[in-house]
Amino acid sequence: MQTSELLNSYSVDPATWDEMYTDPERTGGSSSVERTLDLVRGQYRPVVDFMQQMSIEELNKKEELAKRLFMSQGITFTVYSSGEGIEKIFPFDIIPRIITATEWKYIEDGIKQRLKALNLFLKDVYNNQFILKDGIVPVEMVYSCPHYLREMHGFHVPHDLYVHIAGIDLIRDHDGTFYILEDNLRTPSGVSYMLENREITKRIFPDLLPSNNVRSVTDYPNILHRNLVSLSPRQTSNPTVVVLTPGIYNSAYFEHTTLARLMGVELVEGRDLVVDNHRVFMKTTAGLQQVDVIYRRVDDEFLDPLVFNPDSMLGVAGIMSAYRKGNVAIVNAIGNGVADDKAIYTYVPAMIRYYLNEEPILKNVPTYQLGHPDEREHVFANMQKMVIKRTNESGGYGMLMGHSASDEEISKYKMEILKDPRQFIAQPIISLSSAPCYMNGKLKPRRVDLRPYALCGPEGIQIVPGGLTRVALREGSLVVNSSQGGGSKDTWVLAG
Amino acid sequence: MLSRVADSLYWMSRYMERADGILRMLKINYASSQDDIQEFSWMPVLRIFTYMDEEGAVRISHNTRAVLQYMVTDRENSNSVLNIITRARENARSVQDHITKELWQCLNDFYHIVRDEKLDRELHKEDPVTILDVLIKQGMLYYGTLDVTMARGEGFAFLNIGKYLERGVQSADILDVKFSDVNYDFRRTDTIYWKYLLLSISGYELYLKTYRSGFDARNVVEQIVLNDEFPRSILYSVDRVHRYFERLRSERNKEAFQKIDFMIGRILSKVRYSTVESIMAQGLHAYLNGIKEDLYEVGNALNQNYFAYT
Repeated sequence: MQTSELLNSYSVDPATWDEMYTDPERTGGSSSVERTLDLVRGQYRPVVDFMQQMSIEELNKKEELAKRLFMSQGITFTVYSSGEGIEKIFPFDIIPRIITATEWKYIEDGIKQRLKALNLFLKDVYNNQFILKDGIVPVEMVYSCPHYLREMHGFHVPHDLYVHIAGIDLIRDHDGTFYILEDNLRTPSGVSYMLENREITKRIFPDLLPSNNVRSVTDYPNILHRNLVSLSPRQTSNPTVVVLTPGIYNSAYFEHTTLARLMGVELVEGRDLVVDNHRVFMKTTAGLQQVDVIYRRVDDEFLDPLVFNPDSMLGVAGIMSAYRKGNVAIVNAIGNGVADDKAIYTYVPAMIRYYLNEEPILKNVPTYQLGHPDEREHVFANMQKMVIKRTNESGGYGMLMGHSASDEEISKYKMEILKDPRQFIAQPIISLSSAPCYMNGKLKPRRVDLRPYALCGPEGIQIVPGGLTRVALREGSLVVNSSQGGGSKDTWVLAG
Repeated sequence: MLSRVADSLYWMSRYMERADGILRMLKINYASSQDDIQEFSWMPVLRIFTYMDEEGAVRISHNTRAVLQYMVTDRENSNSVLNIITRARENARSVQDHITKELWQCLNDFYHIVRDEKLDRELHKEDPVTILDVLIKQGMLYYGTLDVTMARGEGFAFLNIGKYLERGVQSADILDVKFSDVNYDFRRTDTIYWKYLLLSISGYELYLKTYRSGFDARNVVEQIVLNDEFPRSILYSVDRVHRYFERLRSERNKEAFQKIDFMIGRILSKVRYSTVESIMAQGLHAYLNGIKEDLYEVGNALNQNYFAYT
């Protein structure tokens, strides 16, 4: 029973919501196993019980097996150093993150509501602009956003759908309340990890999934494929759907190939496509074949060298004209960046009220616009309690965490801000909930977030019950991004 | 099928075939080097399978470990097994959605095995045959996985065209260099020399069954060029290229198909209606060289007509 020891050593920060343990105050002085198990939340109890029956050697073996499976399947990213590629795996923690049916229902409703409003906002902002005329969102906020593309103006996308695939980042504050951290409406990545992490769990913990009533995530590629097919502008029973990748050197290449494989569609690069007479074709061994729907994983900026970045080697010349003529569907729509901009984010609750006449279900993290002098002053006075982000960056780049930055770093960053305040926002540091991780034979609480993936088609919005739980593996760290030392966990959503 | 995908499948397959050929050849030549043959030299091997300059080759031609290390794990040698497998894997990686997951994993495992630093160390210290066997087995796993799991579509045709084209060239190369090493002396009766040549392309047992009268250079040529039951003969390889290319026949791209079909058909006839006598009359070197050039031309034509995408 070494593992009960492993459980007893689990000490949670009292100011943090822990996904597994209830009120940590009560653990004080207790050492018996029963007492400890009592404090484990119901949804985690079967897993903790299961782990207690295993020795540390067995658990280590499971961890080793998980690593080997990732490596052998090539679920890796390549780090190029001294002219040679080294294969690395994204760290995976073997203990699942578990979400109850009630929690999930709440998340699901909240995300659906939010996406409905965001999609309406995109349609509005690229057409009639009622929301700007009514003064709900300031005009300058939209026009100063680099991702607002005038090329999309006055163009009706099929089914008025702009956001087909969304990855919405959620975090939990100290009392367990869910907050929306970020909306990712352009090319959200990570869904292959949702799928692969689950496959790994099946291998390392046989029978644990069915006995816990965990809902399946395997339907994701099928739903996505069905949605993509339904967008085809050509009336044909078997439209050509492709996934467009920047190529094998892209860090998400594994994901692109996984999605293409699971949907049974072609994975293409820009150089495989050619535009002729406003139609997109792919170059095959039997000549040109028309393409109807493109799920692109190439950013707007690189999509068409004739319209956007002229140096792009990843795109297809003329694709934008084919898109505007309605001869090809592009997923997600071009120009979505204006809706997931970190400064526009502040206005999403207002959008929900404006378009849907509903109260937002999921809350925003309070956000200060540094373009706004009063708010900037407030932020500058409280830098230690703030996290400051650039509005158009993602992946954890260009951030300043006020509580851990030196005075020098802070004053340098302030100078940066003053150069162009519109490009920055600040949020009070939210502590993020913690979840148990298996580390060197012990359970340790580490901070997590949650990214569920929503698929929007002509039939409505579907969210596969699961998602990607990212975890900050460094002790005390609040940054979960993989580029900043983050890992991931399998995410379980329990059925009723 | 995308032209780029066809291209990658074709090259993945050629590289895998090349790696297999090199590994088998190394194994047998290693055995030969241990067989107390005074004059054993790695020279022919280095000449066929590497771009090493004459001087460098002479320097290591009697140093078995150095040659093995250079041919298997050297990072600088662009034709080392390590680099060939890396290229095969890069090709596979870019067409992962066109090969089965099993095949991809098999190739990916091969890549990780051959890159493991332990392998390099063992190659220096331990029994090389054990290590070569591990790699050869991984290659066999690749062939088996491919055969059992891959759909018999266009991709399968390109895989096989690549494989047999490479094999045909390789057999011609091995034969040519081995004969050049003895100055095309057909009277040479040195049993061990021919035995190891045949062993290196898995043709020894078949030879014993076919020819009862001991070793004769003419028979060796006959088996390696003309025996249509020997899976490494030139005739067999060209016949397979022909057979798999036939599967690409379609109404679209008809012109290109007919052109290449004609080219392959001509090579096939040329080999099929050769005899040892006619080959000797023409000169073995000229004959083999002609076939190699014809096969390269098929490769170029495929490139132009099927793989062009940039």
